[in-house]
Amino acid sequence: MADNETHLYLHGKPVEGFDECHEHISPMSIYYKVFGALLVLTGLTYAVSYMSLGPASLPVAMVVAVAKATLVCMFFMHLKYDDRYHVFVFLSTLIFVAIFFTFTIFDLQSRAKINEEQGTFFRDQYDREAPPPPTLPEGVELAEH
Amino acid sequence: MSDHDSPKAHRPEGASEPHPGHPFMAHHFNTPGQQAGAAKFGMWVFLATEILMFSGLFLAYFIVRMNYPDMVLAAHEHLNKTAGGINTVVLITSSLTMALAVRAAQTGNQKAILRNLLLTIAFAFTFMVVKYFEYSAKFAHGMLPGKYYHAWDHGYLIEGHPHIFFAVYFCMTGLHGIHVLIGIGVLAWIYVRASKGHFGPRYYTPVENVGLYWHLVDLIWIFLFPLLYLVR
Repeated sequence: MADNETHLYLHGKPVEGFDECHEHISPMSIYYKVFGALLVLTGLTYAVSYMSLGPASLPVAMVVAVAKATLVCMFFMHLKYDDRYHVFVFLSTLIFVAIFFTFTIFDLQSRAKINEEQGTFFRDQYDREAPPPPTLPEGVELAEH
Repeated sequence: MSDHDSPKAHRPEGASEPHPGHPFMAHHFNTPGQQAGAAKFGMWVFLATEILMFSGLFLAYFIVRMNYPDMVLAAHEHLNKTAGGINTVVLITSSLTMALAVRAAQTGNQKAILRNLLLTIAFAFTFMVVKYFEYSAKFAHGMLPGKYYHAWDHGYLIEGHPHIFFAVYFCMTGLHGIHVLIGIGVLAWIYVRASKGHFGPRYYTPVENVGLYWHLVDLIWIFLFPLLYLVR
């Protein structure tokens, strides 16, 4: 290496040690702490599903999942110490997912009302009967799950 | 047979190294940091497309749940929560060993790179084995997607349209499972290269990028598990 020493100049000044790793190296303890937190949060997700929270259970489960995802992104994927541009790429994806979800669900929930207002009806909603309750074929016994 | 991953693989006979002392650095980069940054940015853009691909399936899940809340509640009771929970812990542990493998590459600990990569591959196989038993149970009970659904033949009555729930279940866990299988493949490739001593503090981009992919597979499961197995 000594014979063909490479030099890099930035704004006319030599850059020292440009060929070394300048990434942040997290201490081992951070990885074990994050791992422990992820296990605790998994247990929490499990516990929440057995509490009958009713309609609140989905938002609570999602909040716990987002907390876990944030831990994985920040410490395992090194986004906390990484180039901010990578954080931007990741978060902009989530913005597009949010647009996708919002518009589709908005359309599905408001479609019936608009159809009614402009007098559109669909054949399957015209004289639809409730589907028959499921029955067992002959010779099959009800199983327990 | 030529060694495809060898630094000399793409260089004409007799040509000198473009960057002496940096065997894996392509000639069109100025610094190793520039090359690593370009590779990592490309990886993040790829991960963005992965998230967008899975978001379609997540939206399908939410639409089914919105339209048939009672059916989703009844059908999800037939999924094995214990198996799903074990798989969650397995994937989180594999994420830890993957992160430790990247750290070992950063610090140049060759033994630790190999050990942690091997553990990650082992956990990935564990995940697929648990998944195999789960899928076998679903097949045996006729809980299959769409027109293949015939759980009533096996004594299971689920009100509503359970074939839609199982279509969503198999699409989401199936696509995720394919990602785990691909992950095993790229981890094995990284393991072979690591065993040749290619990685160290000066060059570990492939380990890091495979790590990012593997963490994304874990991230998707973090959302899949509560949504499919633990809905209330």
